[in-house]
Amino acid sequence: MSHAIRADKFLLDADRTTWHDETLWFVREKRDRAVYGVPEFQELRELASGIKNHTLSRLDLYLQEFEAAAQANGVHVHWAADAAEHNAIILDITRKAGATRIVKSKSMLTEECHLNPYLMQHGIEVVDTDLGERIIQFRDEPPSHIVLPAIHLKKEDVGDTFHTHLGTTKGESDPQRLTEAARQHLRAKFIAGEVAISGVNFAIAETGAVVVCTNEGNADLGVNLARVHIAAMGIEKIIPRLSDLGVFTRLLARSATGQPVTTYTSHFAKPAPGKEMHIVIVDNGRTQQLGRPDFRASLKCIRCGACMNTCPVYRRSGGHSYDFTVPGPIGAILSPNIDMKKHASLPFASTLCGSCTDVCPVKIDIHTQLYKWRQVLGEANEIPASKKWSMKFMGRVLASTRVYGLGGQFARKALRLLPHGLTHAPSMNAWAVARELPEAPKQSFREWYAKQPAAQPAPSQTSA
Amino acid sequence: MSTTSRERILAAAKANKPAELPLPTVPDFGGEATVERFTTVLAGIGGTVVRMGGPEELEATLQQLFPEARHVASPLFRGTVPVDRETPTSILAEIDLAVLPGEIGVAENGCVWLPEANMLHRALPTITQHLALVLDQRRIVATMHQAYAQLPDTGGYGKFVAGPSKTADIEQSLVIGAHGARSLVVLLY
Repeated sequence: MSHAIRADKFLLDADRTTWHDETLWFVREKRDRAVYGVPEFQELRELASGIKNHTLSRLDLYLQEFEAAAQANGVHVHWAADAAEHNAIILDITRKAGATRIVKSKSMLTEECHLNPYLMQHGIEVVDTDLGERIIQFRDEPPSHIVLPAIHLKKEDVGDTFHTHLGTTKGESDPQRLTEAARQHLRAKFIAGEVAISGVNFAIAETGAVVVCTNEGNADLGVNLARVHIAAMGIEKIIPRLSDLGVFTRLLARSATGQPVTTYTSHFAKPAPGKEMHIVIVDNGRTQQLGRPDFRASLKCIRCGACMNTCPVYRRSGGHSYDFTVPGPIGAILSPNIDMKKHASLPFASTLCGSCTDVCPVKIDIHTQLYKWRQVLGEANEIPASKKWSMKFMGRVLASTRVYGLGGQFARKALRLLPHGLTHAPSMNAWAVARELPEAPKQSFREWYAKQPAAQPAPSQTSA
Repeated sequence: MSTTSRERILAAAKANKPAELPLPTVPDFGGEATVERFTTVLAGIGGTVVRMGGPEELEATLQQLFPEARHVASPLFRGTVPVDRETPTSILAEIDLAVLPGEIGVAENGCVWLPEANMLHRALPTITQHLALVLDQRRIVATMHQAYAQLPDTGGYGKFVAGPSKTADIEQSLVIGAHGARSLVVLLY
């Protein structure tokens, strides 16, 4: 199923679509206000991009430096080539700890690896503790945004969900009271948690520490109450030095939600005495992306979500229409690397307007990569036949002056003569589903130009 | 642990990485390291700054700010609940107020560096219902660059705390008090 077909479903509720569009644009505006308050913001973007480019160019060395530093801190380091290995490692750690109750803070990587269903199949309780993630976990839905996982839902939806799962009053939709109900419910889970899983925002090669950024405090609460901490990270989370965090912590929250910084920027280096800390370093297609010169810059991503908030297609189609862990423009350049056939429509879910590239805090050339994926997909024969043949046909027409002129004449006549029901038939003209074609002019510019009297020669200039 | 996966990942990263690129030097961008800026920014993210004449005013100030607090933990004075790293979760969960010394304040974003050594227990700053951080105003810096420049390392665990715990996961409505402390006050002297 293509992005366009899934987007159609989202668009059935026009009011909700408008709300979604405006809400995300509001987040984009908050981002702008936060960014304009920092005079050196553009320099910070350049620095962040440079640090990430440098790190990718020495990735194997930094990974080893990080591993050695983490081990010296008393941390167990594990390596997973793919999602299956990542999941198996985490299950193994949990079993060895004799645990059955896991609390988990936000981690797009564990979503990518489908960790939750795997653990649950093996009899482990996994509770997502980020409020948005808990809401969608109750509803058995994937996140629709990497920073705002439940942004596709209205407060009434959350009220219904909490009524069913937490016993809140039917019809209660006040965000304050719903959040308080979740706080009480999740406190009990935190206190009972035996193993805590967290994601990783940054992994510092120099110190072996991992940095986790949250607003709710759920990572800190979960990790510091549990006996075992498992931090799961993709290989691209590495940064060289502690001082580099000055750059990234100034960019991340401002780009994501317009906050000056996340409430908690937590540095986990060593387990507390008597406790365990594990770090699982995951590839799952990332080294392959590193080997694609046109697309390796996508590995610089720090998962702020700014490209989604600004994207005119994402805002009006919703995160679920992408059917990939990371939706939006960045997801559309990450996903074909994982499965080109399945995600072939995503690089086309863009107007190529470039707004994503403009807001990206690490300067990924997102819209250029979208364009390049289209070429790759075309050559690999992964675009639908209708698109392929219509592009071939238009290519022929536009390459020949004569054919183009004849085609124009034909189209102008046809538009005048054919009934509206035919020219705007949704089955034949998808463009006109929600738009009116303009009235066809009587003649083309070239026809008009040919009828004009020959231009007078310009008077010659006289020198002074 | 799978040694083969480790070797495979490192070999693939080595084979597929681009030619080496330089590591940029991060300049100190300067900026405004003032109490006023710190106070304004912290208020903007839901925290509060209370000025004290000196650390000796701490207990009187707390009395005024938190007259209801019964279960209080602090390394700075004799609280009502003694907490150390062995304190069981059931006792931590009852704490109303934790009063902890902060190390560095950052004016651009209102955060305060809190190292493990100042926390009594790693979970205390988030499990407490309310958090007060005591900070010497001379320790305010302008930016995160300057804050990290002052940290020799981050120890076993440590964090920057910027305001109270919050969420906007329900329709983007801001709610203070998600899972961590419901309020944050910085007591500045």
